[in-house]
Amino acid sequence: MAMAWRLPTQFAIPGKLYYNHNHLHPKTSTSHVAFSWQRTLAPNSPLSTLSSPPPSPCSLISVSERSCERSSITCTAQAGGAVNLAPGTPVRPTSILVVGATGTLGRQIVRRALDEGYDVRCLVRPRPAPADFLRDWGAIVVNADLSKPETIPATLVGIHTVIDCATGRPEEPIKTVDWEGKVALIQCAKAMGIQKYVFFSIHNCDKHPEVPLMEIKYCTEKFLQDSGLTHITIRLCGFMQGLIGQYAVPILEEKSVWGTDAPTRIAYMDTQDIARLTFIALRNEKINGKLLTFAGPRAWTTQEVITLCERLAGQDANVTTVPVSILRFTRQLTRLFEWTNDVADRLAFSEVLTSDAVFSVPMNETYTQLGVDSKDIITLEKYLQDYFTNILKKLKDLKAQSKQTDIFL
Amino acid sequence: MAAASAASAISLNSNSGSSSSNGNPINNNSKNSKSQIMIPIHVWPNPNSRSCQWQSSSSRRWVPLSTKAAAKDDKPTKITADADADADADADANAAKQKKQMQQRNRLELEDVNPVGLGRRSRQLFDEVWRKFSGLGQISSTSRADERDALDALLIREGPLCEFAIPGAQNTTVLVVGPTSRIGRILVRKLLLRGYTVKALVRKTDGQAEEMLPRSVEMVKGDVGDPSSLKAAVEGCNKIIYCATARSTITGDLYRVDYRGVYNLSKAFQDYNNKLAQLRAGKSSKSKLLLAKFKSPDSLHGWHVTTGTYFQDVIASKYDGGMDAKFEFTDSGAAVFSGYVFTRGGYVELSKTLSLPLGRTLDRYEGLLLSVGGNGRSYILILEAGPTADASQSKLYFARISTKAGFCRVRVPFSSFRPVKPDDPPLDPFLVHKLTIRFEPRRQRPVEGPSGVKQDPRSFTLILEYIKALPSGQETDFVLVSCTGSGLEPTRRDQVLKVKRTGEESLRRSGLGYTIIRPGPLKEEPGGQRALIFDQGNRISQGISCADVADICVKALHDSTARNKSFDVCYEYVAEQGKELYELLATLCMLSAQVAHLPDKANNYLTPALSVLEKNT
Repeated sequence: MAMAWRLPTQFAIPGKLYYNHNHLHPKTSTSHVAFSWQRTLAPNSPLSTLSSPPPSPCSLISVSERSCERSSITCTAQAGGAVNLAPGTPVRPTSILVVGATGTLGRQIVRRALDEGYDVRCLVRPRPAPADFLRDWGAIVVNADLSKPETIPATLVGIHTVIDCATGRPEEPIKTVDWEGKVALIQCAKAMGIQKYVFFSIHNCDKHPEVPLMEIKYCTEKFLQDSGLTHITIRLCGFMQGLIGQYAVPILEEKSVWGTDAPTRIAYMDTQDIARLTFIALRNEKINGKLLTFAGPRAWTTQEVITLCERLAGQDANVTTVPVSILRFTRQLTRLFEWTNDVADRLAFSEVLTSDAVFSVPMNETYTQLGVDSKDIITLEKYLQDYFTNILKKLKDLKAQSKQTDIFL
Repeated sequence: MAAASAASAISLNSNSGSSSSNGNPINNNSKNSKSQIMIPIHVWPNPNSRSCQWQSSSSRRWVPLSTKAAAKDDKPTKITADADADADADADANAAKQKKQMQQRNRLELEDVNPVGLGRRSRQLFDEVWRKFSGLGQISSTSRADERDALDALLIREGPLCEFAIPGAQNTTVLVVGPTSRIGRILVRKLLLRGYTVKALVRKTDGQAEEMLPRSVEMVKGDVGDPSSLKAAVEGCNKIIYCATARSTITGDLYRVDYRGVYNLSKAFQDYNNKLAQLRAGKSSKSKLLLAKFKSPDSLHGWHVTTGTYFQDVIASKYDGGMDAKFEFTDSGAAVFSGYVFTRGGYVELSKTLSLPLGRTLDRYEGLLLSVGGNGRSYILILEAGPTADASQSKLYFARISTKAGFCRVRVPFSSFRPVKPDDPPLDPFLVHKLTIRFEPRRQRPVEGPSGVKQDPRSFTLILEYIKALPSGQETDFVLVSCTGSGLEPTRRDQVLKVKRTGEESLRRSGLGYTIIRPGPLKEEPGGQRALIFDQGNRISQGISCADVADICVKALHDSTARNKSFDVCYEYVAEQGKELYELLATLCMLSAQVAHLPDKANNYLTPALSVLEKNT
């Protein structure tokens, strides 16, 4: 196992990563995965930035921790790599770094943290339109890019806890941020003595290796475990906030709503609740190193969500139901060509949709563990009802007034 | 590229009037430059030549779907997609477009057959359809360039769905004094998250403070030690939170920040409020109610002077030195109550039965304000309360006031009146029907006369200007973060506390609605984790996190129970192993006010915690 885990950390050998996955999921059809991964990790992909020369801090740890072939660099890494050996000003436990702070979950994490009195630093990709709203709330925004490892270390100086809620954008190659970037970040965190690392993963990610994102998340979980960092992994099911744009708004605007006939159920959860529970877990020393799964109170199918939205909005939705088989077919088709592989990856979730998987988990134990009352967790009915009653009017006003808001995104 | 599209827009403009990219060329240009930001987000995964090729092939494949959606998507209103297509088209076929435009010049319905327009539209349609289609196959829809997400983000941040939003916050401007202090930093963030407008008082507007504060904070330059600089600072503010403290324990620093600072700021704020009340010409709820004004001889009508003694037995007459008092309107235009009391245990009183204007009752007011002058004696105010019809039911309540030599204003809250008979219930301002000012020679402080000659404390002169009732506000205006003194260096402790207490006192006397928070030793840790104890009487022993103090400040702003209260707050004491029994006994000895309140998301812990605490202490 140790041997197997050494390989992905060097992340310059695409074939080995795939091999490694097979190792983890012996049941997976080999040809299938091999195809997918060989494609995505094709040699012409921009890996050259990451297979950097040894002095880069990212490669230090991986070598020192699991490699048999130790070099001179290994020693230095070991010295600095263990938890906070360096003397100096102790890092305040209230200083945290949020990676992926502009995302749906990330912004709620930032808000929650600021409200609870943390000093929040946000790692944000350099972009033409800066994430102003984070600064307006009082967070400090630093520019760095996970796909450029050399930009990471500076952002970790003086940080006690890293909260990682980053995920690559759907339109970019899936492994740039989600695998290579995360590996670099975790290695950096280890090297710089970060004292806690919170990682957000996807529920059931170990059961669906055929979906690249879930596969990557699972590998990252494993990698984090093996890194020796004090960490918490939190698996999530689905965000209620995502449903607004997907179903609620199109229904209100009388546009067509696209749904599948998949029987998959997802227990959606409010990101504000997720953020709250995250910080409770973060402060609880007993949870260190554990794997938590946060799920909403009830699991919903797409059709149920649409029906609920229709009922609350008081109007019928114009539903375009796409059979899952078409999605699968498209995915198979796009996988045939190298240049449509990214598209295939985007559609990969359709593989999960065909099974009647349930993305939910009983939360009672987690609630007791965290000392949270289950009544405080908002249900989807309540959330959407609040949305439709309160926001409906305001939404239209806002839409009329401000076209400017998109600069935040 | 922007320049090129602008040029093409001009040329289109010349031949037809309804192209989607038509319009003001400058405007179009700006749209384009904005949309260029969006391109990498909105466009296909790899915007290179290969993906272009693929798009065209797959767009053919999905024609049935796109025509279906075409019926619904009536107008291409999306700037982003439009400009997006614009950019591509410009890059690819700029020269060809010029040629086509030349050809199309002859036709009437240019838009119908314009290949650029058609391409653009089909591209949009396909884009939309594909976006939705691929969204189905994804784990979560995080297409951020989507305008709906933009709206969604806006709603999550500011709308009622935000757990932090407070209804009154939008129209409230809070001045934070000491925004870079340990509490202040967190406080500013908390206020911003809840939608308040925040002004921050900073001493220097160099880069340092600006770096520490969020950009949405309006910074005003000023120093609490300098009253003139505070005028601008309080302009437009509804609330003040004072969490500045002296940087050192040097007496001068302490005095300047912890005492004079509070005094100056409360004065500046009260002046500003008065200015606003004047604009409403006494009709606003902030206006005081005039009970008596002594501006003419007629105004003395209804006031009666009486004398009396505390001793009614024979011995009293032995000490009878005589006493006299009169209330008169002098030639200089002042109503003067003056006289002497030489009799041991004697007193003189000036009293009047109050007649309030119709529809006004004193229960909407929280105290009395007297503008008086004289030689600095102290007096006793007595209120008679009870049913007006039956004088035998009346109960007496008293409060001692002291005046200064010269003119001054004395503020007496109703809550400071104590019943003469200890068994009587507390004063109910609604029932008050008679006001009495009593002078007695007992317990007079010796006052230095102007000449240094010691005056006889048994004679008095009281010049009355007016008596008003102070309106009671609902909320607190001024939140002051003071300290309990525990955790301070013992040698400096008394000195620091003395100055802080003077500052608190000056705030209480200012007439503003106040909340004084005295936290235990501050800790830099996240808030909302441990139960808090609210108490009065300097009994607390534990620390408290800065974030919790900031949270109490924010909650106190809109909490009517927090008005005019001073309280100590700290963490609940967690007993160490083996000491529980002792702790239990100790806890039982304490007051019921010390109920632990756990701060949490939904529960408002402040109201129940404070409702049991006394006001104006």
